[in-house]
Amino acid sequence: MAEVVFDGVTKVFPGETVALDDLTLEIADGEFMILVGPSGCGKTTALRCVAGLERPTRGTIRVGDRVVNDVTPRDRDVAMVFQNYALYPHMSVYRNLAFGLRQRRVPKAEIDRRVREISAMLGLDDLLRRRPAQLSGGQRQRVAMGRALVREPRAFLLDEPLSNLDAKLRVQMRAELKRLHARLGITTIYVTHDQTEAMTLGDRIAVMSNGRLQQLGAPQEVYDHPANLFVAGFIGSPPMNLVRGRAEGGRVVAGDLTFERSRIPDGEVAVGIRPEALSPSADGTPSFEFLVDVVEPLGDEVVVHGTTTGSTVETGAEEEEVPTQVEGARAPITARFDPGVRLAPGERLRLGVRPDRIHVFDLRTGAAIP
Amino acid sequence: MSERTLFEAPVEAILKPLPDEGEPTRRRFLFSGWHLVLLPLAVVMIVPLLWMLITSVETLNETRHFPPILVPHQIRWQNYTQVLRQAPFARWMLNTLIVTTLVVIGNLFFCSLAGYAFARFRFFGRDVVFLLVLATLMVPFQVIMIPTFLIVRKLGLIDTLWALVVPNLAGAFGIFLLRQFFRTLPIELEEAARIDGASRLGVLFKIVLPLSGPALATLAVVTFLWTWNDFLWPLITLYTPTHYTLQVGLTTFQGAHQTNTHLLMAANVMSMVPVLLLFFLAQRYFIRGIATTGLKG
Amino acid sequence: MNVRRIAQSEHVVGWAFALPAVLLVVTFGIVPIVWSALMSFQRNNLLAPPQWIGLENYRALGRDPLFKASMVHAVVYTSLFVPLSVGGGLFAAIALNRKVVGIRVYRMAVFVPVVISSIATAIMFLWLFDPTFGLANWILGKLGLGPFGFFTSSDGALYSIIAMTVWGWIGFDAIIYLAALQGIPQELVEAAAIDGARPWGIFRTITLPLLGPATLFLVVFSSINAIQLFDEVYLLTNGGPGTSTYVPVFYLYQLAFAQGIAGYAAAIAYVLLVVILILTAIQLWVGKRLVYYAS
Repeated sequence: MAEVVFDGVTKVFPGETVALDDLTLEIADGEFMILVGPSGCGKTTALRCVAGLERPTRGTIRVGDRVVNDVTPRDRDVAMVFQNYALYPHMSVYRNLAFGLRQRRVPKAEIDRRVREISAMLGLDDLLRRRPAQLSGGQRQRVAMGRALVREPRAFLLDEPLSNLDAKLRVQMRAELKRLHARLGITTIYVTHDQTEAMTLGDRIAVMSNGRLQQLGAPQEVYDHPANLFVAGFIGSPPMNLVRGRAEGGRVVAGDLTFERSRIPDGEVAVGIRPEALSPSADGTPSFEFLVDVVEPLGDEVVVHGTTTGSTVETGAEEEEVPTQVEGARAPITARFDPGVRLAPGERLRLGVRPDRIHVFDLRTGAAIP
Repeated sequence: MSERTLFEAPVEAILKPLPDEGEPTRRRFLFSGWHLVLLPLAVVMIVPLLWMLITSVETLNETRHFPPILVPHQIRWQNYTQVLRQAPFARWMLNTLIVTTLVVIGNLFFCSLAGYAFARFRFFGRDVVFLLVLATLMVPFQVIMIPTFLIVRKLGLIDTLWALVVPNLAGAFGIFLLRQFFRTLPIELEEAARIDGASRLGVLFKIVLPLSGPALATLAVVTFLWTWNDFLWPLITLYTPTHYTLQVGLTTFQGAHQTNTHLLMAANVMSMVPVLLLFFLAQRYFIRGIATTGLKG
Repeated sequence: MNVRRIAQSEHVVGWAFALPAVLLVVTFGIVPIVWSALMSFQRNNLLAPPQWIGLENYRALGRDPLFKASMVHAVVYTSLFVPLSVGGGLFAAIALNRKVVGIRVYRMAVFVPVVISSIATAIMFLWLFDPTFGLANWILGKLGLGPFGFFTSSDGALYSIIAMTVWGWIGFDAIIYLAALQGIPQELVEAAAIDGARPWGIFRTITLPLLGPATLFLVVFSSINAIQLFDEVYLLTNGGPGTSTYVPVFYLYQLAFAQGIAGYAAAIAYVLLVVILILTAIQLWVGKRLVYYAS
């Protein structure tokens, strides 16, 4: 086991595509690190650089005390789980698990011992003689993890390992992954675009965009204090509501909403409020008018989509270009309430929010203003 | 040349055309109008072969008869043993088998290596070299056979079986076929194997080739047929009768036994047996080979 | 460290993998192409040192009646062989694309000639077309035709060769057409039928256009093949009777390997190559305007 360190790593692909731009990141020994971001943000390239499948254009990558830039994948002693599992279709589960050990000329008896051990740990005992094609999605996933873990690697790399599973299985495997990490303590780098996985699994998460590291921190910290507009828009589901506004003399006005914030420099800002920070009554807190559009009762909560006066802000984290319904100058707002709250489309009300739960970002640089 | 071959078509269906899913016996007439077309067609295709087979077990006198005798009085298998006694037929068969085997193995090996390199590695000059290789596909052998003859002569291979083997150990066709196939394999398998500790060669032999069975079989079968049936090149490079291949031997046998039709046909039947056998055993790969490429000639 | 890095770089590994095959292809493919071109400007008998004579070989070709005759024969052969074998293949494929009893047997019957060598086919047909004792004359006689001299008659030899090679190639074309037919989505045919098209209309407006790529391939491929005719002529007629079946490759072979006039033969080879390239280019150009490629 070992720490993994990116030091100023840049990767430029032929055609001048910059996949990684000066990434510096230290993953501690035994840590569970999440690389999260939208597709094309460079997270997978970063992972492949650690695996040795890509060579950094600039910068160094260290595993333990060894710079591995010029080390082939086979000599790096890291293991990887691929999104589509990449199980060798022509080999039995047993031989899949044993493949890496056989390549390393581990004695037969030792291979057998370790394969049995890992298959017991992952509940694969009855599947050892089957071929990958005869396995279910969840079973393949386990075999893929087993194949990586059986080698007792110095670092464990996972590239969107759960994205091919159905929702129920994904929740199950998430918990299992967490247990496995707690038990084995292997340095783990986990790439995902799914923020639920990012929030639940990691010791720390690294949010990436356009090949750059946007924010690094514990999941809750990133959620509570997004460093910039991109992170604010990316982490959280439904995403943070963002409305264009203006700060002047310690007073911020965004559409219909007005609140005080001390020591804030004058200028254009974006005001961000998480859906769960909104309450359907104003009682003394800052508030703004809200026109209900769609109501989604989810059982344990109710999600309400609607609009307010003002204009919205793009963060660059939107999954795709959604044509935002610009009716006059109205910004979309999403709120999460207790299931008891009953609202109907077309209803108008005022939504309140505590001032300390309002995020303010510099509209020009995107950086959070404390 | 584009990424895909000139034309691609599903092959599997040709050999298994009769599932009749969901449509029980109603549609399967014992007789259909199409039989009136199919039967004559099949007869035209089969009669020359049948006539050859019949003649091959007749006596010389029976062959010298008009109208032709379609049912011999007695089946003379001796004709076949007589052919084996009168010409080094077994030797020709063996020569052809040796050459064909070596060429097939050589193509599988060298084209796998090169096809994999062209499919997966970015190396200096790759695209230019690949284009050059493809260009040779466009040039018929007859155009280059004179200089090829001179090169092989310079290598001292004339009148040896090596003259047939060495120039054909690898070819543009095989390189192209395998490269195209390798590119359809999921690259993650190869990456996973490299991380698991396999060398580049290990990845090719332990992961890629075991998954390339159909393509390798197609190449093997096509190469086999090409080599087995090749005539012009052995004709100009082999002089000693005991060095002949089957096709060259057959022509000299034909020259020497023009009037012994029964022996000639027996020899002809024997020359076909190996390819026909392979055809019936490996139909699927023959058909695939033809439908994806164009293998005769 | 550096040595290892070089040894593991894709440049080195890639070349190491490709080199044996590339060397073979270059030695026995690329070098002869260039050499062939050079030889066509030489007086070369394969033994004495060659002598540069510029375009003399090509000029001589223009005055050579035998070369002219062989080109004419090649044109006749190609312009009959290609439509007959491609059309026959299409016909056979359509007939074989039916779910009727015994279809497997019919298919085998049509496919089998594909694997039989040209020499074996020729020997077989030599007997079938035997003027005195052959089955063909007997059957044709029953129909009130003949008797024919086939390979022994200077009028009929070339056409007899065509009949034989068409027999040998129909299976090949049928396989390709059959594969293409199976690739036509059944919904298209059904949609056309619902739209009121009759079977012949469906064939003409749906099936035939969708077979375009296969047809183009077969026409190009068969033409290239036809121009390379050799084995059958060598065995059956030796160019005769007279010079009635002289074709370019046979003439080339005679010149280079029987008479040792290799430079002149190389000129013929290069003319052939140019003809093939031009023919292919024309066919592809025409094909591009007529053939519809899905996706």
